[in-house]
Amino acid sequence: MISLRHVTKRYWRGGQHLTVLDELDLEVRDGEFCALMGPSGSGKSTLLNLVGGLDYPDSGEVCVAGEFISDIPDSALASWRAETVGFVFQAFNLIPVLSALENLELPLLLAPLGRRQRREHALHALELVGLADRAHHRPSQLSGGQEQRVAIARAVVTDPALILADEPTGDLDRDSADQVLDILARLNREIGKTVVMVTHDALAARRAGRVVHLDKGKLADRPPENGE
Amino acid sequence: MAGALPLRLVFKNLFRHPVRSALTAASLTVAFFLLCTLQSLVVTLDAGVEDAKSDRLVVQSAVSLYVILPESYDAKIRSVEGVEGTCRWTWFGGYYQNPSNFFAQFATSEQTLFSIYPELSIVEGSAERFMSDRSSCLVGEELAAVYRWKVGDTVPLIGTIFPRTDGSTWNFRIAGIYRSSAASVDNRTMFFHHEYLSKSLEDGAANGPDGVGVYVVKVKDGADVQSVMSRIDGLFAKGPQRVQTTTEAEFQAQFVSMVGNIPFFVSSIGMAVFFAILLAVLNTMLMAAREQTHDAGILKALGFGGRTVFLVLMLQSLALSVVGGGLGVLAAVGSSAGIRHALGSMFPLYEVTTETTVAGLIGAVVLGLVAGLVPALRLGRLSCVAALRLEK
Repeated sequence: MISLRHVTKRYWRGGQHLTVLDELDLEVRDGEFCALMGPSGSGKSTLLNLVGGLDYPDSGEVCVAGEFISDIPDSALASWRAETVGFVFQAFNLIPVLSALENLELPLLLAPLGRRQRREHALHALELVGLADRAHHRPSQLSGGQEQRVAIARAVVTDPALILADEPTGDLDRDSADQVLDILARLNREIGKTVVMVTHDALAARRAGRVVHLDKGKLADRPPENGE
Repeated sequence: MAGALPLRLVFKNLFRHPVRSALTAASLTVAFFLLCTLQSLVVTLDAGVEDAKSDRLVVQSAVSLYVILPESYDAKIRSVEGVEGTCRWTWFGGYYQNPSNFFAQFATSEQTLFSIYPELSIVEGSAERFMSDRSSCLVGEELAAVYRWKVGDTVPLIGTIFPRTDGSTWNFRIAGIYRSSAASVDNRTMFFHHEYLSKSLEDGAANGPDGVGVYVVKVKDGADVQSVMSRIDGLFAKGPQRVQTTTEAEFQAQFVSMVGNIPFFVSSIGMAVFFAILLAVLNTMLMAAREQTHDAGILKALGFGGRTVFLVLMLQSLALSVVGGGLGVLAAVGSSAGIRHALGSMFPLYEVTTETTVAGLIGAVVLGLVAGLVPALRLGRLSCVAALRLEK
């Protein structure tokens, strides 16, 4: 599903180049649940952005679902994202003026569906995360755990092959975090979605079938000494 | 599919800060009401010039419009080659019952008025009755409506330029009510016999300057207008009163310019109002763009392109401007009759024309496009990662 070859990403910060990913190679198979761990600044989120087509590498190849997305122009990359990837963010990133149902209908506008079909798909996805009764609530009327479950429903509503979750339990209490992880595990196990999850939480990482450690922009065999 | 527009998001974002949106729309409404009203005043001032006939000339004193011309000039002008007829116009300047009831009254040549002004038609009463009764008058249909006058009524006027020596009023019987089909003559004027005024002055029944304000000259078909003007001016070059002959359009334009360069002044105020409201809407849209930057990042992550993000903000700017500005234009159209009534004889032809209405609506669209362009472009071009990194 995911193949990264010699991927390097640098940022210009504080007047100097900062190498966030350094000649990184990584393979993630179809249907795998992979946790990315590492200390802050190790390049986890940057890696997720490259795999999700939100950013381009400075060098190297990023191949996802058979497409070399590092070669796709920005305008076409948006369509590719809509079809291939579902994102779950730490800060939930729901649109505050829209209800839960409307947030789910948003990505479906990009699919060839009628209004009624969009509504049916959105309601079905909300049922999947157990929030059908909160369909007309705005994000501000939901708890953090419920918001994240709506965000997961939005990530899967278009039926993408890949779900990228950037610290999805980072802002949640233990119970809510467990509910979210249960849903991600179920999506992986029962529906066969490939899930790549960035996390600092060792308990969360244990739910993944594979844990990859990152340190200073490179893959590490084991967690770094500082313990993250 | 990448072009699909989340219109519900556009709509809901407009109500993200309902008070701010309502205040911005209200500012637009007031501004566009003012713009349309000011533009209508300019159009009204220019209407007389635009509707002026090219075959009508105005002969006035070369010294000033306020200096009257001898009555003897009438026959001399009529004898000039290329002149078909003349019509006297003398400003009477009286008022009805009290000074606030002011409207235009002219002593005129009853026999030639209708031939020189074919745009005038009688809607009640008769022209013959007017011509045969020396103390009768014609009133415009709007003027008659204001004072609820009808044919046969007597209109008592108190003369200010021409007061009657015994202190009494001038009494005019209404012989007819006219309607003008062109802006060169408005429907709020009263015409009466010039001979009645002249005879009263001659008999000592009234005081005031004896003569004629201006002569309106109708040029024969095919005659060269410039030559006729030169011949008339030349005829009185050695006095006793030198004259200046102009086309009716030039005369109307000169009349407008007597009250200062109002069109320029009013247009300048209009431009200033437009610029001020543009800055206000631009400020609102910049605030909206700042608030919606994170949402733009979410949209892009979901697969929407920069064009969609651009359009979401642009449509908000357009909707705000068109609704606010459109209400202002509608208010200007709806209040047109009331404003005309309030302005009274100052702007008797005041109206918000279709051209002004369309220009107002186009102005609202342009304002929305201009105000939304920079914030929407910035948002559309922002990278997804940069937009998401911004604090909510």
